[in-house]
Amino acid sequence: MPDKFVQAQLSAMLMGAVARIKANHKELSRLDSFGGDGDHGSAMLRAADAIAKTVSGAKKKATKDLLSDTAWAVMGIDGGATGPLLGSFFLGMSDAAGKGKSLDAKGLSALFISGLEGVMKNTPARAGDKTMLDALIPAVEAMQTGAKAGAGIPDCLKSAADAAAKGAETTSKMKARFGRAKNLGDKSIGNKDAGAVSMSLIFKGFSEGVESA
Amino acid sequence: MPMKKFVNKPEDLVSELLRGFALANADKIKVLDNNLVVRARPKAKNKVAIVTLGGSGHEPALSGFVGEGMLDISVPGDIFAAPGPPKVIEALRMANRKAGVLFIVLNHAGDVLSSNMALEMAKREGLNVRKVLTHEDISAGSRKNPTDRRGLAGCLAVIKVAGAAAEKGKSLEECAAIAERMEANLATLAVAVSAATHPATGGVIADVKEDEMVVGMGQHGEAGGGTQKLKSADETAAIMLDALIKDLKIKKGEEVLAIINGVGSTTLMEQYIVLQSVKKVLDRKKIALARCLAGEFLTVQEMGGFQMILGRMDKELLSLWDAPCHCPAWSVK
Repeated sequence: MPDKFVQAQLSAMLMGAVARIKANHKELSRLDSFGGDGDHGSAMLRAADAIAKTVSGAKKKATKDLLSDTAWAVMGIDGGATGPLLGSFFLGMSDAAGKGKSLDAKGLSALFISGLEGVMKNTPARAGDKTMLDALIPAVEAMQTGAKAGAGIPDCLKSAADAAAKGAETTSKMKARFGRAKNLGDKSIGNKDAGAVSMSLIFKGFSEGVESA
Repeated sequence: MPMKKFVNKPEDLVSELLRGFALANADKIKVLDNNLVVRARPKAKNKVAIVTLGGSGHEPALSGFVGEGMLDISVPGDIFAAPGPPKVIEALRMANRKAGVLFIVLNHAGDVLSSNMALEMAKREGLNVRKVLTHEDISAGSRKNPTDRRGLAGCLAVIKVAGAAAEKGKSLEECAAIAERMEANLATLAVAVSAATHPATGGVIADVKEDEMVVGMGQHGEAGGGTQKLKSADETAAIMLDALIKDLKIKKGEEVLAIINGVGSTTLMEQYIVLQSVKKVLDRKKIALARCLAGEFLTVQEMGGFQMILGRMDKELLSLWDAPCHCPAWSVK
């Protein structure tokens, strides 16, 4: 596995996330039924389809354009907060992407950092609020740590996926402060946040997608 | 238990409901190919346009408020979910004009996110858009933290007065000021007695125990505290009205608007009974019921319960409230 990242691998990374979401959308809806409408899984399924469609139609696209097309496709799913938040992650990644066709672990890490900033710009939620950020922040940090230590993209993504999964796990102890679940107050404690689990599935998929590419 | 709803494929819910909505209201609205709901006869270009967005499954809201005297464009989302920013920016572009666009947004996470992202794009493109956020649900936060408050069926009053102001040819600044004044003088409280079924997933929303009611439940079954034993119409109306009057600090001699909005399976009979309970309480408190409405304006599938909306009215707001409108959900001659 070379360290330089080309479009085929970025596509594989995105498609890995698509596969993970498709395999787990029912569980996401179940988790969402505790505090939300129980439709997070179907929104994520539509997001996954939108990503797959963008990737398959993008044979020769610059990283920047592929990511921004992915963002707009995801934002267009009409899925409440899910589309805009997930879309702003990809849009943030796109903002930091150069015109170049290759990317190393440090470059990919920089894209993730910019993606995280994109999300944080659009939500007042922060770490510990029982949202997707509780998986996304540790994932981005793990990616950054790995890249700084000189690890390759596959290893970095693996540790990012592990960190995201751990982060999603911790949300079951948290009290929701944002979205519809916040109205549950203390009753929100005990279940994982559906958005955080989605984010951990995305990073798990990123890692698997790159492994198989 | 299987869901007892007359629907087809879950993924077709929104497009099919819009198709039927258009057939039933062909004299008032049109549904475009991109699912935006617009007036059958567009408003004159020199008048302020009014746009809103919101999830589907709450019929007749919000697209039922499109028409003469009310909205110009509504952007429907998926079931209980806001439309995405691309569709919202499309609507803002379509509505854009020299007179300006008033963009009314109900305070829910998804709607706010989509509208903020669309507004950022609108600003970049130089569109003339002014946003007004409705957040009149008193159960979800104090007046000091307005962003905690959800936007419930009180949007009807905001859209009505702003729509009338736009129709009269008032400027964007004036329309926004009127919308904001109505909003600031509105308070809504919801009560739920039975659950709704999500029409796409079949999931049960907001289960309420047989002998209980929940005061303060939002339009997606968000709990708002206040679970109590089921009470009579008079007792329930008194509890809710007291909270609304206290929140708005309404005093003896003031004039109010009251709306009883049935959310699904609570009958019109019950809504009328509650409305007369409201009148009795107001009479006792020497507050004048200047205008009132009962009916289904913003529903939550077959949820049982209603939203009670109270608004402090002044002369101008009353005259705007009385102005004509012609929409699928409501007409004033």
